[in-house]
Amino acid sequence: MAKLEAKNIVKYFDHDGQPLKALGGINLTVDEGDFICLVGPSGCGKSTFLRIVAGLQKPEGGQILLDGRPIINTGPDRILVFQEGALFPWLKVQDNVEFGLKIAGIPESERHEISKRYLEMMDLTKFVNSYTYQLSTGMRQRVAIARALVMDPEVLLMDEPFAALDAQTRDTLLVEMQMIWQKTKKTIIFVTHSVSEATVLGNKVAVFTHRPSTIKKIVNIENKRPRLSEDETLMKYQQEILAELRPEVKSKGEEK
Amino acid sequence: MKANVLAKKIAFFVGIVLVWQAFDSANVWSDKVFPSPLEVGASLWYGASDGTLFYGIGTSLWRLAVGLVIAIAGGIILGVFMARVETVNQTIGSIILGLQSIPSVAWSPLAIVWFGLTDAGIIFVTVAGAIFAVTINTYTGVKNINPDYIAAAQNMGAKGGQLITKVLIPAAFPYMISGFKQGWAFAWRGVIGAELLFSFLGLGFLLNVGRQLSDVSQVIAMMLVIMIIGIVIDGLIFKKLEDKVMSRWGLR
Repeated sequence: MAKLEAKNIVKYFDHDGQPLKALGGINLTVDEGDFICLVGPSGCGKSTFLRIVAGLQKPEGGQILLDGRPIINTGPDRILVFQEGALFPWLKVQDNVEFGLKIAGIPESERHEISKRYLEMMDLTKFVNSYTYQLSTGMRQRVAIARALVMDPEVLLMDEPFAALDAQTRDTLLVEMQMIWQKTKKTIIFVTHSVSEATVLGNKVAVFTHRPSTIKKIVNIENKRPRLSEDETLMKYQQEILAELRPEVKSKGEEK
Repeated sequence: MKANVLAKKIAFFVGIVLVWQAFDSANVWSDKVFPSPLEVGASLWYGASDGTLFYGIGTSLWRLAVGLVIAIAGGIILGVFMARVETVNQTIGSIILGLQSIPSVAWSPLAIVWFGLTDAGIIFVTVAGAIFAVTINTYTGVKNINPDYIAAAQNMGAKGGQLITKVLIPAAFPYMISGFKQGWAFAWRGVIGAELLFSFLGLGFLLNVGRQLSDVSQVIAMMLVIMIIGIVIDGLIFKKLEDKVMSRWGLR
């Protein structure tokens, strides 16, 4: 059953005062419990698409349906994990994680109970009283993921959350992310520029064209989990996706 | 403070006093115009022993505190609305820089007409001197907030007053601290300046009394007290606050 549907999403960027068509009509159906990764050439607007799904940007055309109802504004049913985490430096880890619950007016004892579960899941219990400047980049992204999960969103949106991490930290988080998905059964839309990351995480990988972008192909990946970056069985999917991406990256080069 | 830094400072101040004493001993100017360090010290001792000095300090600090609290609260409100509401910025915002360029004592004549020679008048001058520095820095701070902080907060359901108190103000705090530092310095000048003109208690009043009695020792003694209070408040309150905020916000 369709959890989230994007219907003909069109978005223009402002390019030195000239409108530049970034999204040329994105159609995408995300089923309940899908872990769908979006890959595409840089600048194709996949992150913008994610922000439109989050309701943080308005498209010039088309609409997003969540459980069949059009979304109007941003809201906690679609929580976005930002590339740089966007954690609040003035709050301790625990207060960062509980921020959305506090906004929702949930009493303190209940907040602690909910946050405890996700702080444990993300292995953060030792750092609840730390400030973000005291944490490594990897730890900060764990906090960002915990902060998103406590909101129990209908759809979890992730915008290249592992892009700034070193290889080892990323590999660990790739495995944990699969476990979180299996444990929470969340519907996840995950933007990445790494084809390998996409094949490890996704049960579906959607390939964007160069702008004005559309979705060119959706690759289904059935391999059992947890998958690792070095799994050879993922190679054929990676080659298939790269074959789709190559002409798109090339057409970008010609434009310049 | 490291021992050698402290030693340097002590040596410097002892040096100043010695040079000062040497000038006095050379008898270039009369003691009426140029008192010795001992005479200034005696004037301070005299003021301290009969309590007038402490009463003056207390009065000035009380006026400073009330004025500063009003200026900070008002400046934050003005600054946030200027940054978030374009109409406010286009209207009120356009005169804030102009108002900021008015020296605080220049508000005194107006304050005397409106409030008379009262505490309220002096506090008005203090607030007028400090509020626009807080406003401008708050405005800059809110304008410079990482847009992802605001997007994340809105995504998690924050809006209206919650967005302002839980995100905009704390996120802009490093800039606001600069506003508080400038604001407090302007406020202190405003208090002393107004007290000189109002001649109604406080350190500025004692300074003026010194002039009227041709007691230059008292004039210099009061200037020293005003300066020392400035150093202490800046070092003990604002410098510490700034250091703490800068490190927590990951800016240092």
